Amino acid sequence: MSGGTLNLLIGLAMGLNLLALGSSRLPSLIRAMSLQGVFLGVMPLLMEYETLNWRVVAVALATMVGKGVLIPGLLRRAMRAANIEREIEPFISFVPSLLLGAGGTIAAVALARALPLLPEHAGTLLVPGAIASILTGFILLIGRAKAISQVCGYLILENGIYLFGLLLIHSTPLLVESGILLDVTVGVFVIGIIVDRIQRAFDSLDTRKLTTLRE
Amino acid sequence: MTPGALLSLAAISLVAGLVSGLWFSRTWLAFTLAGAATGLGAALSVLLGATDWEWRSAFSLGGEFVHLRLDGVSAMFLALLCVVGGAGAVYAREYWSEEHYPASAPRGRCWWSALMLSMGLVLTISNGLHFLIAWELFAVSAFFLIRLDRQRPEVRAAGWLYLAASHAGTVCLFAFFSLLAARTGSWELGPMREQTALAPLFWIALAGFGVKAGVFPLHVWLPSAHANAPSHVSAIMSGVAIKMGVYGIVRFSGWLPVPHAAGWVVTGLGATSALLGIAFAFAQNDFKRLLAYCSVENVGIILIGVGAALLAVTHGDATWGRLALAGALLHVWNHGAFKALLFFGAGSVLHATGTREMSKLGGLWRTMPWTTGLFALGSIAVSGLPPLNGLVSEWLVYLGLFDAAVSGGPAAWAAMPAAIMLAMAGALAMASFAKAGAMIFLGAPRTQVAAHAHECGMGMRAPMLTLAGLCVVIGLAPILFWPVVARAVGSWRPAWVTMEAPVPLVTLGSVHAGLAVLVSAAAAWLWRMAHVNGLRRGLTWDCGYATPSARMQYTSASFGGIVSGWFRWVLQPERKMRRPRGHFPAEAIRLERVPETVLERILGPVSAVVIQASSSVRRLQHGRLQFYILYVVAGLIALGLLVLLGGAP
Repeated sequence: MSGGTLNLLIGLAMGLNLLALGSSRLPSLIRAMSLQGVFLGVMPLLMEYETLNWRVVAVALATMVGKGVLIPGLLRRAMRAANIEREIEPFISFVPSLLLGAGGTIAAVALARALPLLPEHAGTLLVPGAIASILTGFILLIGRAKAISQVCGYLILENGIYLFGLLLIHSTPLLVESGILLDVTVGVFVIGIIVDRIQRAFDSLDTRKLTTLRE
Repeated sequence: MTPGALLSLAAISLVAGLVSGLWFSRTWLAFTLAGAATGLGAALSVLLGATDWEWRSAFSLGGEFVHLRLDGVSAMFLALLCVVGGAGAVYAREYWSEEHYPASAPRGRCWWSALMLSMGLVLTISNGLHFLIAWELFAVSAFFLIRLDRQRPEVRAAGWLYLAASHAGTVCLFAFFSLLAARTGSWELGPMREQTALAPLFWIALAGFGVKAGVFPLHVWLPSAHANAPSHVSAIMSGVAIKMGVYGIVRFSGWLPVPHAAGWVVTGLGATSALLGIAFAFAQNDFKRLLAYCSVENVGIILIGVGAALLAVTHGDATWGRLALAGALLHVWNHGAFKALLFFGAGSVLHATGTREMSKLGGLWRTMPWTTGLFALGSIAVSGLPPLNGLVSEWLVYLGLFDAAVSGGPAAWAAMPAAIMLAMAGALAMASFAKAGAMIFLGAPRTQVAAHAHECGMGMRAPMLTLAGLCVVIGLAPILFWPVVARAVGSWRPAWVTMEAPVPLVTLGSVHAGLAVLVSAAAAWLWRMAHVNGLRRGLTWDCGYATPSARMQYTSASFGGIVSGWFRWVLQPERKMRRPRGHFPAEAIRLERVPETVLERILGPVSAVVIQASSSVRRLQHGRLQFYILYVVAGLIALGLLVLLGGAP
């Protein structure tokens, strides 16, 4: 049961990637990202349901709460404070980014076939899902102009790295897992503050205006 | 006392001078003179004794044990440093005095002590790593001394140019010492002539030390630094600091094996420097710049001697190699003495008139007889005229070259052209100093400042007299200095040591002495005649002009016009001219400026291209975060492709 459900969840997460790429409204982007976070939080429970211990449960719960509730909440607050709803002038507009994302997903599946993986990982979508999420994160980071969209891109990128990390769930100590999670949360805090500062200094969240700071 | 004790006394005195210089100028002078005297004592005890001084300490600095050594070669340079350093310290007290420069005089005193100390360390250190540290300290102290008068923008520009050039040289030295340490497995320096694999390193050392020595194409920093620094700093820079470059070349061509072509290249560089350096000197209007270019010429003469010695090493003929090297080493002393004297004289003129332009001076001999006399003596020495010291060392170099030419073999093909170019350089040097002396001191004052000049005080005159005395003594009794030079030659190549002075040198000494007696007798007779008969003053021939003015005299450009014409291909003078027109011409102009050809015509365009290329790369740095991430992604994908396609094991 676990393999099938796991693949289903990863498939959904990959679908959410495309949703994130295609939506111009910031609330739906944040929602896609937070839902992806919750799916990711469930995965360790599915993978380890036979040998559940408090460690895995703690990681899963922390991931679900952090990525599903805490970070999206912070982002929504920043969004409200900055009073923006939409990504209006992206560098890469929505249809091309969708096409890029879809191409990236196909390429990720093809690439995963070519990689020398362990037999127990070969059947799952873990590796293609991870690569696809990382690519999606990069496309968002490169293609969007608003700081909040870029934060979402960064978080999706991080989700991809987390998926890779799941390959090593047996050998990664708890401390590393929680460290990564803490890093992300702190990162989002910092970015929240920076977003606020950008908003106050430039009266906009358009990162293109940061070019005046280049030297 | 042993050299070691004297050297430690000298170091302690200089450190004390460094500390006290900030507040007490008299204490500083006492400490600096004490340091110079003890250092000189150490150098002389090594030069006159038979053994080198060496000290290995258990104290380690940067992971290397401190290792000091004073042999014949380094003692010669150390003696020069102490003489010029001490004389300059006395000179500076009046020339750069507290009342005229309240802000920079204390700084100047501290950096002066630091410069002497660091150059002393460069000369005694025998470890590559420590040598680099001392070398850097030396470069930095010289930089701050050049910039003493930093309110003036041209001084700051000269300082930066010096620092940049100096570091370009230091990069080569870093490469040289690290490669040497990598190949020998230790930073320790010392004689290693047998390890023939080390020979190619000589080229790197030549480039690195050549920048500091001011060899012709690498001399770009030298004219502006020497012209814009205070005159006592110019004196030690020209007299001693550029000799550190020569020291490096002599030291490491002596300790390491040299490539076969080294003799040819060094002789060629020397001949080029000598001829072109003096050609540039001749075309200058700024008298300190003239002296600076003349230093390029004299470094050229020294390198001709060193190059001939290297040729002798390659072809295994000690007799003429010894003469040429002795000439080169003695010229290090001689040039140090007379060039410091000339810069002190130039400083005295600058102090009295405030201008460095010869076209604004003239007629100073009436108001400044001491400076005139001493500058004339320095000019005779630098032009290589009898009976002073310039001729003695050039004579030795000539002897080496002639013997090489006569002995036949391939070395003759280098020696003959070098001798010819040396002779041409000597003639041009005489012309340059005839021009400088005539423009500054003879004729009538061309401007008001020249008319109201005043003689310098005893504090500036005494060091000039000391150096002039040294020039006279070496000129009249060269034989006394032969053992010292022979000792240094012996340190360079132990097989070449001989204490017997060459016969032509003995002859030259007696001719000089005879000449000096004749000249003094003639001068005394003239003096007496003038006193008995009285002087009759009249106008010079004035070409029939009814009202001649001081501005109708020769200018420095018109004096040098013909010779500058011969060297137009390298001097590339810039001219602006409006000829007088019609029967009643209103206005006519002729302006001429000699650019820093290597700097403005070669290095300038090259660095402009480099800057253009770099600024096109800077366009990648535009501040758009998205593109920066794109660079990262592109880099990642490229790396991935590299691994997938090519690099996969």
